[in-house]
Amino acid sequence: MADPRDLAAPTTPDPDLVAVLTDLFADYRATRATPTAVVDLDRGLWQRLEDLGLTRLTGSESAGGSGGGWVDAAALLGLAAAAAAPVPLAEHDVLGGWLLEAAGLPNDGGLRTVCRPDPSGVALNVTWARDASSVVALWEDRDQWRVADVPIDRVGVEERRNLAGEPSDTVEFDLDDLEAGIVVDHAIGEQFHLRGALARSAQVVGAMERVVDVVLAHVREREQFGRPIGRFQAVQHLVSDIACETALARAATDAAVARAAASDWTDPGMLFAVGVAKSCVGHAASVVVRGSHQALGAIGTTLEHELHTLTRPILARRSEYGSLQDWDETLTALASSAGHDRLWTLITTGRAKTQHAP
Amino acid sequence: MARLVPPGARELPALTELRLEVRAFLAEQVAAGAFVPHVDTWLTRWDRDFTRELGRRGWLGMVIPQQYGGQGRTFLERFVVTEELLVVGAPVAAHWIAERQIGPSLLRYGTEEQKEAYLPGISRGEVVFGIGMSEPDSGSDLASVRTRAERVDGGWRLTGTKVWTSGAHEADAFFALARSAPLDPAHRHAGLSQFIVDLRAPGVTIRPIISMGGDHHFNEVHLDGVLIPDDRVLGEVGEGWSQVTSELAHERSGPERVLSTFQLLAAAAQAMDDGRLPTDPGLGRHVARVAALHHMSFAVSTALENAEDADTAAAVVKVLGTTGEGDIADYVDTLTATGWALDEELDTLLHAAILQRPGFTLRGGTNEILRGVIARGLGMR
Repeated sequence: MADPRDLAAPTTPDPDLVAVLTDLFADYRATRATPTAVVDLDRGLWQRLEDLGLTRLTGSESAGGSGGGWVDAAALLGLAAAAAAPVPLAEHDVLGGWLLEAAGLPNDGGLRTVCRPDPSGVALNVTWARDASSVVALWEDRDQWRVADVPIDRVGVEERRNLAGEPSDTVEFDLDDLEAGIVVDHAIGEQFHLRGALARSAQVVGAMERVVDVVLAHVREREQFGRPIGRFQAVQHLVSDIACETALARAATDAAVARAAASDWTDPGMLFAVGVAKSCVGHAASVVVRGSHQALGAIGTTLEHELHTLTRPILARRSEYGSLQDWDETLTALASSAGHDRLWTLITTGRAKTQHAP
Repeated sequence: MARLVPPGARELPALTELRLEVRAFLAEQVAAGAFVPHVDTWLTRWDRDFTRELGRRGWLGMVIPQQYGGQGRTFLERFVVTEELLVVGAPVAAHWIAERQIGPSLLRYGTEEQKEAYLPGISRGEVVFGIGMSEPDSGSDLASVRTRAERVDGGWRLTGTKVWTSGAHEADAFFALARSAPLDPAHRHAGLSQFIVDLRAPGVTIRPIISMGGDHHFNEVHLDGVLIPDDRVLGEVGEGWSQVTSELAHERSGPERVLSTFQLLAAAAQAMDDGRLPTDPGLGRHVARVAALHHMSFAVSTALENAEDADTAAAVVKVLGTTGEGDIADYVDTLTATGWALDEELDTLLHAAILQRPGFTLRGGTNEILRGVIARGLGMR
């Protein structure tokens, strides 16, 4: 009999890391202030993360990072999102830090955010821009991709907020600063969108998992008609549907993360894998946000309740790095060009051509 | 949140090689016209020759040890073979029940003599089994079965009626769940036993139940005092309930709960590429769900291979998968206008899928029952 270890490889994060993160965010959740409508960077939490080497988890050790992979990074993003922690882990580490390394630019460890300015040098919805010490810009200029690390005092910042109440600013660059950026390979430019989309997926899944817990706690405690509402079959089915959609989103996201980690993002199936994650996560978000607010009743719509600290970011993030419709269209294009005979190959390998490795 | 579904696992090259080997064989078979790809083939397409050919190639009895004529391989290897057979719409109904549940149940509960009598034939694709659980008054509430097993000299006499027995008119034998002791309302799951029934035995009457499209897949099997010798009791008398429920995770989490309409999805993808269907993002959405369920179903198989409990996870796969495979039928239907020149292949697949769809979320435990199973897994019950 074949040894199952030769057939399937586990893709779970480092359990010690998960234990540290679970404790850290449980502590954060227990001690934070009551929810607010606007959400600002928590510098105290950021400092704690930095002290633990978690703000540069995926940075190479030679560049001052912790040398972590995407499986661990996705776990960190998910658990932080489950705690609704207002810290720019995705922007600073897996996106900004990665771009700086890819461009061979120094990283002084100051807080970074990241964006893709348009040809005129303007970037919209740049999360945490006002809090950053510099902004990592990925700029497409005359068929070349450039990466520039521009100090915050050299950009114009118009303060705005996203659906989650987080800083989501408009940033205007001086074109000279962008033109001075380092030219990087096209693959970097293309990968950025995928990395952003997968980081957002990991965050949304983490938040949805916390929503399931919040809903479960509520339906066990809340009594109506003389019993906990979770005893009603209608409520059980509602919660079951939320949990199922969340589990599907988790499976899709983990599969994409595993593929990214196994190939260091070089697998040509990454576009499909990330699209599957983004699509499943985005559609799950509709069910989970709607169903959780229904289960929680009116109390779940109040400012003081935890629920909106999760559901608002879920909806804000599912539309970043491509709308749900964009990604479904991308998958449609991949599926229809694969056609009848190659659709299954596309699903199992992420590309329509047969390959001899999964 | 407590994980409902085990963490994912990555398919390694040894498994992929088997996958590609099966895929290449099936492509040849389709090209040679050995079968016409269809939907829901694990219920609706019987082909004993094809089944025997799979047996010759070592793709049946995969988890049955070699000493009983099987392949002695893993659930993961069976998983990829099963997926490849289903996505290509191959005629697999003849061996489906035997391969999925009869073989594993015999291995776990059968006597040495029973294993030797049935497992080699199952592994060659020559012995075909059905399963007799539901009754006219027992659907989701399986513990209410009324088929009686009465003790007689040297065995048992079975009297009662089983329904929705797929393929009984073609099968050699089936497992019947019957009440071997009077119902004790305080312990409804006690007093049930499983019996191996020869479907050619005196007292067995098989009548067709015709499906709404006019096809004959289901049967009513009437047992009129059928004599079952003691050596055809499966497992322990009175332990029928725990025996039938112990294999549920395998029965509920497999790729057949996701891929019944895959041929229709593939045909729709082709039709969009050819411009015969409008390009629509719904295709991408359905493809994404199938892909995610492929990963989830594989994760459950990996857990089962490692002998972990996966009952709740299996229910999650089945609720999502059977809903999704039905939604594919409805989705393609919403893209097509009557009178629009499609092609015969797409039309045939679509009509069959629409007519089979109601069964997807009923068979093997309705989705309403399964949502309750999931709620229990979440600690709500």
